Amino acid sequence: MSDIKKAPSRSNSLSNSMMIDRRRLLMGAAGAAVGAAALGVTSGLGMGSARAAGRTEISFASASFFGKEGLGDLVKAFNESQDRIMVKFIELPPPSSSTEVYQGLIQQLARRNGTPDVFTQDVVWIAGFAAAGWALPLDEYFPKDKRTDYFPGTVAACTYNEKLTALPWFVDSGMFYYRKDLVEKHGGKVPETWDDMATMAAAAQKAGDAKFGYLWQGKQAEVLICDAVEIITSNNGSILAPDGKSSVVGDKAAVEAIQFLHDTIGKTKISPQNVLSWDEEPSRQPFTSGEAMFMRNWSYVYPIAQDAKASQVVDKVAVAPLPHFAGGKSAACLGGYQLGVNANSKKREAAIEFLTWMSSPETQTRLALNFGLAPSRPAIFEDAKLKAEQPFMASLQSVFTGATPRPITPQYAKVTLALQSSISKALVSGDVKTELEAAAAQINKIVA
Amino acid sequence: MAFTASAPATGQSSKARRALPRALWPWLLLLPAFLSLASVSFYPIVNGLYLSLTNRSLITQDNDFIGFANYVQLFNDPAFWNAWRHTIWFTFASTVLETLIGLGMALILCEAFSGRGVIRAAMLVPWAMPTVVTSKMFGWLFDGQHGVINFILLHLGLIDQNVNWYGSPDTALLTIILADVWKTTPFMALLLLTGLQTVPKSLIEAARMDGAKAWIIFWNIRLPLLLPTLLIAGLFRALDAFRVFDLVYVLTGGGPADSTETLSTLSYKVLFSTLQFGYGSAVSTAMFVTEGLIAVVFCLFLVRQIRKTT
Repeated sequence: MSDIKKAPSRSNSLSNSMMIDRRRLLMGAAGAAVGAAALGVTSGLGMGSARAAGRTEISFASASFFGKEGLGDLVKAFNESQDRIMVKFIELPPPSSSTEVYQGLIQQLARRNGTPDVFTQDVVWIAGFAAAGWALPLDEYFPKDKRTDYFPGTVAACTYNEKLTALPWFVDSGMFYYRKDLVEKHGGKVPETWDDMATMAAAAQKAGDAKFGYLWQGKQAEVLICDAVEIITSNNGSILAPDGKSSVVGDKAAVEAIQFLHDTIGKTKISPQNVLSWDEEPSRQPFTSGEAMFMRNWSYVYPIAQDAKASQVVDKVAVAPLPHFAGGKSAACLGGYQLGVNANSKKREAAIEFLTWMSSPETQTRLALNFGLAPSRPAIFEDAKLKAEQPFMASLQSVFTGATPRPITPQYAKVTLALQSSISKALVSGDVKTELEAAAAQINKIVA
Repeated sequence: MAFTASAPATGQSSKARRALPRALWPWLLLLPAFLSLASVSFYPIVNGLYLSLTNRSLITQDNDFIGFANYVQLFNDPAFWNAWRHTIWFTFASTVLETLIGLGMALILCEAFSGRGVIRAAMLVPWAMPTVVTSKMFGWLFDGQHGVINFILLHLGLIDQNVNWYGSPDTALLTIILADVWKTTPFMALLLLTGLQTVPKSLIEAARMDGAKAWIIFWNIRLPLLLPTLLIAGLFRALDAFRVFDLVYVLTGGGPADSTETLSTLSYKVLFSTLQFGYGSAVSTAMFVTEGLIAVVFCLFLVRQIRKTT
């Protein structure tokens, strides 16, 4: 997302002075909320004020995303696009403070007083909110045929107990970064299986072309679960059984997958032992300074890799779907925020209308161009303007197609802590089977 | 208490005040202090205790009284005992190291030498630094790839390959203890320095006259007289170290393989990531009890020491 902040605004419908005013208003949550209300009034100056009074007022809470513009601008655009609904924006902390956003949302939703009417949520919270009865099931408004417009993985993540309780908004996922020059030198074809990747990485290391073959994230943190979900799914394994009532993380597929990660350090030696304490940024740094051949990371790395001030590998980096095991399919851990409606909202129709607008192709294109947030609708990746302005994002369609949700369970927070602990232990000790079986037993108790 | 002296003087004129029995006045005046203390100190503790007897969770919306079920679960929870052991070990190791090194620093700073004032002030810099900054700094110092520590040790020939300080369960907690020692030793040194300055100079001079060596003076005069300060400083430090959170949270997040999980990080995860307020409060209460035990042990020593000297 940082590319958007740095990039000069090439085409912008908003005047510059207005943007500066808006930025200032976005400084704090209160500021933004007041700002949105104040701008709502100014937008309908004079004769409009009477009209504004007759509007249905709803509130919208979201983590604060911004790029060339902020979410406040988006809300304002909606308020100006019609004259029946007036949306008030409640700004939560930025997505980097995910725990605080989560707490903030829960505190509001648990009151069950209908505020906020519409909200955005991290994919892993959806099941919890649905199970608590805070999220309105959206099936009647978005029947199955409408959902085919979105990436299937995103729709799966928005579905709990066979009910659609969230509407896809934007996506991110894990992806496979590689050095074009090194791949060219050592075989010419981007590896599609983990074994090919390991062989190629070892060859490059041996030839002295790269200090590290493959970088991933093994820190005992949420990102470890993302890395694990990807590699386990790519071996046709899973963390939870399809019914979500038991864990299959102790099964052969998962054990083989985690064993592969363990072996990258001790056996194939394509990863430094340091990955066990690395999350995203520490693993990104050696890659952009030209020390590594392959890396698993999120989409934010690409703009940094292309920034000559921060990177030694400008124009040498490309992205592909992550490798898979023989007989498996590439999988990418799904991230991103999705939209939801408060089940206690008293203004359901207005909330649905705003929700529909937020997830519409037009708004998603605007999110892609102005916020750097990738659309959850595959069709937008064909958009000519997106291809011209964000060629990297446009190239990610194949990556997002394989996006896989993390375990969908209302107890996700407990499941992830148990998994983080066990997988970290498995990676450190090498006793993968024992640790993962212990994890499965523990998760069985949590989700049963 | 000062009130009883002044009350008759100011109170005589007012009938209402005279109407109140004298014995009630002190209590009435203590009431605001008691109320404010009760609201910020007693109430949260009691409420925490009560929460630990419920299954309250924001996510499942449960909120029932379940007796001691949380404590039974806690007792059988390997994650809790794992964190408990790490916390005790961290508290013990960091307190002992900080006391010993702090004592050494205090003894040096107690001597008169030029530039002592500047050194005393400079010594406090690590302690004044926000812990998150210290954490980041130690993160880079002990970085497994580019860390200065690895570079130095490698060039001195003490290690033959880079050590992955935070990525290995054998060294992660040790490195965190080191960071804490670096940061908090000055605080100990300062406390002990004030203690040393209360040791009467005449005693030391008298010992010198009798031909006592520096070591004898330290062992027989300074140390015994410093002991109460030492115990109080140790108590402060131990209770503070027991709550270690920021260093662990920033540097390792409890990993690898739970090898740096402490009670504070565990209760944070249970309380604020999984939002199980009931079980999380039980973890916090267990912390509270353990801290209480540590304080009692220190206080027993302290009381014995004070009895001995008076």
